[in-house]
Amino acid sequence: MNEKTRKTAINAFGTICMILIALILGGILVYLTGNSPFEAYGAMLRGAFSSPQRISELFVKLIPILLMAFGVSIAYKAQLWNIGAEGQFIMSSIAATAVALYINIPIPVRFILSFIASLAAGALYAGLAGYLRNRFGANEVITTMMLNSIASYFLMYLVNGPMQDPTTDLSQSPLVPESMFFARLIGNYRLHIGIFILLAVTIMMCFFWKSSVGYRINLIGQGEMVATYAGINVKQTVMTTMMISGAFAGLAGWIETFGIQHRILDGIAADYGNISTIIALLGSLNVYGIIASACFFSVLLCGGASMQRMTEVPYSVVNVIQGLIIILVIARNMFADRLPQVSHKEKKG
Amino acid sequence: MDDQCVVEMRGITKIFNGVKANDNVDFFLKKRSIHGLLGENGAGKTTLMNILYGLYQQEEGEIFINGKKEDISSPLKAISIGIGMVHQHFMLARPLTVTENVMLGKKSRRGILLDTNQTSNELKALSDKYQMDIDPNSKIWQLSVGEQQRVEILTAIYMGAEILILDEPTAVLTPQETESFFETLRQMRQDGKSIILITHKLEEIISIVDEVTVLRDGKMVGRRTMDASVTKDDLCRMMVGRNVLFDFPPAETEPGEIKFSIRNISVKNDKGVQALQNFSLDIRRGEIVGLAGVDGNGQKELCEILTGLRPAESGTLQLDGKDVTNRTPNYYIKQHISHIPEDRQTIGLALNWNLKNNLIIKQLGKGPFTRKGFIEEKLVDQNWEKARDAYQIKAIDGNELARSLSGGNQQKLILARELSLDPHVLVANQPTRGLDVRASEYVRGQILKARNSGTAVLLVSADLEEILQLSDRIAVIYDGQLMGILPRGADPMDIGALMMGKKQEVHD
Repeated sequence: MNEKTRKTAINAFGTICMILIALILGGILVYLTGNSPFEAYGAMLRGAFSSPQRISELFVKLIPILLMAFGVSIAYKAQLWNIGAEGQFIMSSIAATAVALYINIPIPVRFILSFIASLAAGALYAGLAGYLRNRFGANEVITTMMLNSIASYFLMYLVNGPMQDPTTDLSQSPLVPESMFFARLIGNYRLHIGIFILLAVTIMMCFFWKSSVGYRINLIGQGEMVATYAGINVKQTVMTTMMISGAFAGLAGWIETFGIQHRILDGIAADYGNISTIIALLGSLNVYGIIASACFFSVLLCGGASMQRMTEVPYSVVNVIQGLIIILVIARNMFADRLPQVSHKEKKG
Repeated sequence: MDDQCVVEMRGITKIFNGVKANDNVDFFLKKRSIHGLLGENGAGKTTLMNILYGLYQQEEGEIFINGKKEDISSPLKAISIGIGMVHQHFMLARPLTVTENVMLGKKSRRGILLDTNQTSNELKALSDKYQMDIDPNSKIWQLSVGEQQRVEILTAIYMGAEILILDEPTAVLTPQETESFFETLRQMRQDGKSIILITHKLEEIISIVDEVTVLRDGKMVGRRTMDASVTKDDLCRMMVGRNVLFDFPPAETEPGEIKFSIRNISVKNDKGVQALQNFSLDIRRGEIVGLAGVDGNGQKELCEILTGLRPAESGTLQLDGKDVTNRTPNYYIKQHISHIPEDRQTIGLALNWNLKNNLIIKQLGKGPFTRKGFIEEKLVDQNWEKARDAYQIKAIDGNELARSLSGGNQQKLILARELSLDPHVLVANQPTRGLDVRASEYVRGQILKARNSGTAVLLVSADLEEILQLSDRIAVIYDGQLMGILPRGADPMDIGALMMGKKQEVHD
């Protein structure tokens, strides 16, 4: 077995172990609240898979979280900790909706323009954090996090102010023209043609790290010094990376706007930003790992909601499991950092 | 010298990940003697001594100190029975004073109050006794590398070490410093201390050691009492298992026209201290210019300026007479200026990348490995196989991580990459530091080969032997200034004097 397959196997094994540990601990918690963990998880699985409509919902959830997880994973490979997918998603859906509502050009053109505007909004919003890092050395963790807040309050302002649907009191904009809605695939289920975009992006991601750009992004993650030494313009690559990363969130925002919500509303991002971060890390930034992790989360999120409806167990269990996975991911990374170093040191001498 | 053994290590075996780092090694240290422990990197010298110092526990074997069987479970235990060790990398807290560093490792004699003054005075007395010339109140960062080393030794003796283990102590010293360092060691021997000198430098063994033990591949291959009959070649054969080429032939061709010209370069280092002052040097085609100097005298900054990693504040660089000052690293790469950086682990290699990809990090843009924006793995594999065979890189396959290679193989990997870029200029900074004899010989041979094919080489090294072996001309740097240029075959003592900043009349 060569180094590569060995590493992949270890990573996959680690990921599965982490999910199991989180589920077991979550189960213990359910037990402590006086419920049966088996019943709870059973309800979760039934809630996710028991009808075609529910399976359709799994894919509906999968689209944004997988896209955004791909996006942040690109930045993470470069050691750029973009946790601003949420903000980039929000800005993109604002841009998409604004184009759809206010720019009075033929629908097909408007559709394309909204696509461009969405991706640009996501890319530029992430690029802002990249710029601040290059120009002032501002840590992107902090800036992207703050940009998240700015984006969500900006959205709140818009849907309660200038963009609010005049016909209601709800915090939401009017619907975009119906002719711009994504076509649904099967009957009245919410699954829409965005799934094909996801498919295309997934295929693209399978090759991304083999591209010359992918190699360069990867190399700056290995250290700025070695990247500079290798002739790479680190600042420019940081910028590119952040913008690509943001464009993924932008794409997710565009799809969510025209596929599901058909408008912007308060809380449109539904915590997708944080979830995508967890997915990327749980999948060890590996494309296949991320796909598997995203599927797991899709089940967890959809199933969790119906678990709450069908049993006494509150949805918070899902949040607990999420939290546990974060802790386990961090623990694993610490171990992974430490183990090879020890054996490396001992080999010398 | 009496014949009583202060240290007896019998049948020591230590296994790391299934590999025997020490295999049934016997080691005896006589009282009041200096004992050389000779071997290549990876021969198990440091492992053996780390066992003696309690950092590792042996799997098999016994240790007797002064005839008494001891179980040395930790360095604390080792110190308590009079064993002190000075590591290759100093373990000093840089912002603290000498005295404070010493006090870190021991209990105050004044209860909750610190015994700073008392300790300081005692250190001063000890330093005077051995002519170490250390002011206990100076801060570590103010001291030169040589002084820091003396502080380490002073600390060990102060802690009561009767048995002193020194791991490659002279690697950082100039010839003059080495000479006075040896004087100190002799005096300690006089005082009844027993000293173990870990080294792979044969000259040192010849000049100071009473007895030598040679390790190879974890096994003890010989023990000799040093006298006039023991030659460098004997030792070398024991250490390497075959004869080694010490003298490389000079170039067959005369150096050509000036290729790379450094003109009045000045720059500050990262701390804002002047690192280079008005430094000028010409390098010709087909010539190796050796730049000798103690570490930290501006060599690193110079190499960085020559390769675009650091902008010069004033002065110019000319390549073939054309101004190329302060361009991007990529520009210099495109101009065929190759760079073997001093720090191979953080600058020269992406340690968490595999070997084959490390070979192409300078060609990730448009280049021979890119087809329509994608890196062609097949070409990368072929390139790896070629490099592996040409440069004798020992690795399982190209997918192994660079981190997992030994220092020598990491350096070969860098060489393979840098020399495959058809270098017109090669900037080699400490290319053999930390490498064993075989790997050093190999690297030096490759540098000569590049020179013979017309590359202009700047060889930066703190190792005078290397400079003397390879250089066609020898430039000496001290405190960021060019002290002088000497011809091939110059007297090492002259070079040493310049390295310490003593400007004198030199014949160019």
